[in-house]
Amino acid sequence: MTDQPVDVSRRILLVDDDRALRHALASLLVEAGHLVETAGDGPEALTKLEAGPFDIVLLDIGLPSMSGLEVLARTRALAVPPLVVMMTADDTPETLLEAVRRQAYRYLRKPFAPRAIVDVINEVGAPGAVLSIEVVSASPEWLEIIAPCTFEIAERLHSFIMHLEATLPEAVRESVAQAFRELLTNAIEWGGKLDPNRKVRISCVRARRMLLYRISDPGEGFDIERLRHAAISNPADDPIRHLLVREEQGLRPGGFGLAMTRSLVDELIFNEARNEVMFIKYLE
Amino acid sequence: MTTRLGIEQQRLADITIVRLKGRIEVEEGVDALRDYLNNLVKDGHIRLVLDMKDVTRLDSAGIGVLAARYLTTARRGGAIKLLHLTERTAHLMEITKLSSVFEIFDDENEAVRSFAAAAGAT
Repeated sequence: MTDQPVDVSRRILLVDDDRALRHALASLLVEAGHLVETAGDGPEALTKLEAGPFDIVLLDIGLPSMSGLEVLARTRALAVPPLVVMMTADDTPETLLEAVRRQAYRYLRKPFAPRAIVDVINEVGAPGAVLSIEVVSASPEWLEIIAPCTFEIAERLHSFIMHLEATLPEAVRESVAQAFRELLTNAIEWGGKLDPNRKVRISCVRARRMLLYRISDPGEGFDIERLRHAAISNPADDPIRHLLVREEQGLRPGGFGLAMTRSLVDELIFNEARNEVMFIKYLE
Repeated sequence: MTTRLGIEQQRLADITIVRLKGRIEVEEGVDALRDYLNNLVKDGHIRLVLDMKDVTRLDSAGIGVLAARYLTTARRGGAIKLLHLTERTAHLMEITKLSSVFEIFDDENEAVRSFAAAAGAT
């Protein structure tokens, strides 16, 4: 199996009060080529962070004497804040949203397969490149955020949405998360031109019988009649005709996002300019 | 960001079985798969079976690469066939109507034999 090469070794601070888990994860990460230090509580973690620097902090939320969320907040004051991956068995929306508000990078629900931690470390970018998410509203019923137009943000938000909707049946959760990611990717790539200085505004509203997601991008919108490069314009008997258009226009292979999303959710509604989109998934 | 897509290759006469492991998504595996398939086709390997058993996530960009390479091989007289789709991937193929474009198999031998059958039919 020819995996792509993993990034250079990362400096990791692993913070957990469970000594056995700390030891097991540290061994795994060292074996994967990373430099690992450990801490058993919040104050010890802060001391090591100040002596740092670290690229990544793996941080348990339920620490003695000082909550992991408080440690997370304190990392933001460091000269180069590390990426913080929260690890916890407490996956209530309130905890997750507080972690989002305090700029957690990822969220791992315990128990997780040991390999998952190595995969997350391999995925993350460089600390200096991580951009902030502005949280406008973080109630479990109404999450609203403003985020820069980068693919890295799309990946982070996708991960949070998968956890936020953890109580949904798996198939529904996956459909919602995939629809969200497809529309967000469109908004970031086409509306925001992958410019981190431009922002998308995202609302996730959870009612008793439905989920509503709304994404607003900074672009001028589009004319659906001119989307010959998208699968939604294909005749019913030729599901790949748009690929020829994409070849002519020099676009990367793709164009299936809207067609997919339309089938994954119950309602897909654009505003007049088509720089805002809303989807609804009804709950049984 | 690094990609975690694993790619393994096996040759059976003029048929190449490509086993994929991990995510095929924009910024995460799509470029690796596109380049890998491009190189295979450039080297004349146009009868491909893609084993998708261990593909954990697939998005529209990944589906786009599969469909675009399907076109490329078809133009050269070859084909890409899909093997061992997960329930999720099969659903995505269904809703994008690509299940009517690709031949999809659950049995590797059957997928390999289908090339001979197609050649015999022409």
